[in-house]
Amino acid sequence: MTQVTTVDVLVIGGGTAGPMAAIKARQKNPNLKVMLLEKANVKRSGAISMGMDGLNNAVIPGYATPEQYVREITVANDGIVNQKTLFAYANNSYAMIEELDSWGVKFEKDENGDYAVRKVHHVGTYVLPMPEGHDVKKVLYRKLKQNRVIITNRLVATRILLDGEGKVAGALSFDCRSGEYNVIRAKAVILSTGAAGRLGLPASGYLFGTYENPTNAGDGYSMAYHAGAELSGIECFQINPLIKDYNGPACAYVTGPMGGYTANAKGERFIESDYWSGQMMQEFYEELAGGKGPVFLKVNHLAEETITNIETILHGNERPSRGRFHEGRGTDYRKDMVEMHISEIGLCSGHSASGVWVNERAETTVPGLYAAGDLACVPHNYMLGAFVYGRLAGESAAEYCAATQLGEVDEVQVEAERQRIFAPLAREHGLPPSQVEYKLRRLVNDYLQPPKVTKRMEIGLARFEEIRADIQNIVASNPHELMRAAEVRFILDCAEMAARASLFRTESRWGLYHQRQDYPEQVNDEWRVHVQVKKGADGRMTLFKRALEPYLVEPQEAEKFIYQHLRIRPETVPE
Amino acid sequence: MTHTIDFPVKVNLESCIADKGCTVCIDVCPLDVLAIDPATGKATMKYDECWYCLPCEKDCPTQAIRVDIPYLLR
Amino acid sequence: MNTELLSLLPLPLATRLIDADATVRRIALIDLLDEIDPEEAESYLVSALADPAAEVRLEAARQLEAQDSPEVVTGLLGALQDEAREVREAAALSLSAVKNAAIGTLLLQHATHSDAEVRTAIFRALRELRLPAAEAPAIYALADTHASVRREAVAVLGWLKTSAALPQLVALAGSDSDAEVRRAAIGALGFASDAATLPALEKALTDTDWLVREEAATVAGKLGLRELVPALIAALQDSFWQVRLKAARSLGRLKDDRAVTPLVESLTHTMSNLRKEVALALGEIANPAAAAGLEVVLDDPDTDVRKAARLAYGRIASQLN
Repeated sequence: MTQVTTVDVLVIGGGTAGPMAAIKARQKNPNLKVMLLEKANVKRSGAISMGMDGLNNAVIPGYATPEQYVREITVANDGIVNQKTLFAYANNSYAMIEELDSWGVKFEKDENGDYAVRKVHHVGTYVLPMPEGHDVKKVLYRKLKQNRVIITNRLVATRILLDGEGKVAGALSFDCRSGEYNVIRAKAVILSTGAAGRLGLPASGYLFGTYENPTNAGDGYSMAYHAGAELSGIECFQINPLIKDYNGPACAYVTGPMGGYTANAKGERFIESDYWSGQMMQEFYEELAGGKGPVFLKVNHLAEETITNIETILHGNERPSRGRFHEGRGTDYRKDMVEMHISEIGLCSGHSASGVWVNERAETTVPGLYAAGDLACVPHNYMLGAFVYGRLAGESAAEYCAATQLGEVDEVQVEAERQRIFAPLAREHGLPPSQVEYKLRRLVNDYLQPPKVTKRMEIGLARFEEIRADIQNIVASNPHELMRAAEVRFILDCAEMAARASLFRTESRWGLYHQRQDYPEQVNDEWRVHVQVKKGADGRMTLFKRALEPYLVEPQEAEKFIYQHLRIRPETVPE
Repeated sequence: MTHTIDFPVKVNLESCIADKGCTVCIDVCPLDVLAIDPATGKATMKYDECWYCLPCEKDCPTQAIRVDIPYLLR
Repeated sequence: MNTELLSLLPLPLATRLIDADATVRRIALIDLLDEIDPEEAESYLVSALADPAAEVRLEAARQLEAQDSPEVVTGLLGALQDEAREVREAAALSLSAVKNAAIGTLLLQHATHSDAEVRTAIFRALRELRLPAAEAPAIYALADTHASVRREAVAVLGWLKTSAALPQLVALAGSDSDAEVRRAAIGALGFASDAATLPALEKALTDTDWLVREEAATVAGKLGLRELVPALIAALQDSFWQVRLKAARSLGRLKDDRAVTPLVESLTHTMSNLRKEVALALGEIANPAAAAGLEVVLDDPDTDVRKAARLAYGRIASQLN
């Protein structure tokens, strides 16, 4: 059974950036047919399925300027940024907050209805709490319906369709319940499938105990790659400080403004870096493994009223089962510190910098293909960045549609993909997807988890090739398992990209995110460049350097000094 | 003798109204692990792939669901 | 359910909406928005607010969240008096998400309703609409016998930033029996750099409730009232370090040299959060007199204190150069 649908704009991924992209495409041109395709259900999908407890990169007039923000992110990401894309975020950040506010998304305000912006970082002021931010998805769903976006749930997109000229012609997908094959023809496709969150294996060994929503298996990274798009900064992994075993965020941005902090076993703060970055994770890693470790979230010095407030927010937003986890362990915020550790690796530009290369209009390097959110390479973008880039992608795609004809569909590609995707259903015996996934992700931990070592990563690549062969033996007994089988391929593509990009950049940068034991120094002469990954004409993975665009604002020497100062312990400050 | 395995998502069969057409929890699960149990007509956890994210529990119109932290993490 | 409406629906949903089993009707309401356009769904939901079964009315009230046509708002206002508590609560919550200022007049007609729950919900919903017409009813409600109503009325006036309400807000901040109302009233003064607010803020800095004192310390900094520096300096001795922290934050914003010596004294407090805030404030004031005190915390055991001290020290040094 093959279903063929034709639309103007197809948005793949209905979490954060995707709904915004779909709404903005419709608002830009109400004559367009816009479809939002979601692997789960748009009502509760993606990274913010249970809401969000705050913004940590709000650029609000009177508190921060776009120039200040761009300078700070440039320094925080060790210089490897396309400032035009950062400005496109920063200049549109406040308007997006205002628009979300008018839609009903709740930001913290004081008793005058002014945004209650909090100072957490030492230089800029960017934190806007959302103590009642649990209904973001409900608000988005309402807007999707009002704007007459066509919603399809439970479709797993697997490949982007290209026409003879190499421009986008649609996407291929299947229904994870009925198993129906879906061909969706479109003039433009927007990828907003989120992070590659199922890359490393959590320390608990539980496949779905990930930091990111485990639905996000890196689908879009893989689809963009096979469509011939450039990906960038893949070697700048995502690693997060999390509540141990629970593997969810301890939310320093919630507890920080209220007085909580990350501490060592002595209850002392130890993080020098001012911004959530690889540098911060490096310090975390060292403390965790050092004599003063492990590491804890400390709130037990706060007043009862404050702790109750923290519990209400943390146990009601983003990952509300936190409270249940603590209860099971007998942990009480009033008395105990909460043990933390660092996560398995992932790819996520929202937190670090690894993603599909986009310009300031959310265009990828493939005509008609756009990207937004955690999978689009705009460093440290977070939720608000996903919304801003969703808007940019939706508007850019709508404009593109006006001047574009629907591309021809290559029937050979459609048939080949059908065979590839459905093969596990036809096999009579073989490997279960869960076991192949477990082994693959265990290998990711063994060979890619930083600190990175050349020989280890080379062995990893060889083992990944064996997994590629094993995939030809995966069996699935129903469309649900078929979805898991498809996801194993996405994960494998991401693992290979992560290894090759890491091997290519023969220096260390971004703290723990790209710490190479055998190339421990940062080498600015050679490596102040983007590292790009792309599928070559021969079908093999190619890597190359892309020069930095000239900076629009130069980080001032004095600021660099302040930043370096925020990273160096006093006893090592040269006199 | 048959054993049943203790899954994270627990459905109270008394209050679940899936047999009357409700599919809220099944719809909202990001990992699509819930389904109607043909034997009872009620919701049940079909795949052991829970992210303990709680939309099923929060959105259930009759509060029939309780999600426990998966054993491996407890 | 109106049969004329039903003829427009795809059949299965239409039959479920009038099923004899209330639970089936309820589930049909949940599915409504997935299957038809929101404007259409609205009329079905409004008529379901009058369903004989409470569970159906509850679901209707929930599903009408943030829908703000006059029909919906009228329906929800009626549901605020439903016999079932959960229906009333759901209606109040749905009303509070209304964003359409045009329905404000409708809400205001019920501002003196006999039921305190209704009055609370109305003022809660009016807050975000920022209607000038809400001013007089909100001022009137500041004398309500129910603290929850007074608290919401304070918010309406604070969001309106109207100076007409200042005398009443000042009075409430000093004398209300409910600490949360006093705190909200102090917060609501945060728009008025008016001499009239000074005594209220000064008094609130010595309120019996620490959350009121904390709010007052924050507002003093927001307003930039230098006259409050002595009171803020006194607040640096508060028995709650949280209040001292907000006082330090505000003294930093005010950049007043009188605060330097008292702030330096707080640099040795046991709570590192406070030491950090004090060091930051000293950096903002950047008075050389703080240099010796800051030197002591340059190797504080807490990194954030060290960072703040280094930044402050650097600023003072650059001023000297």
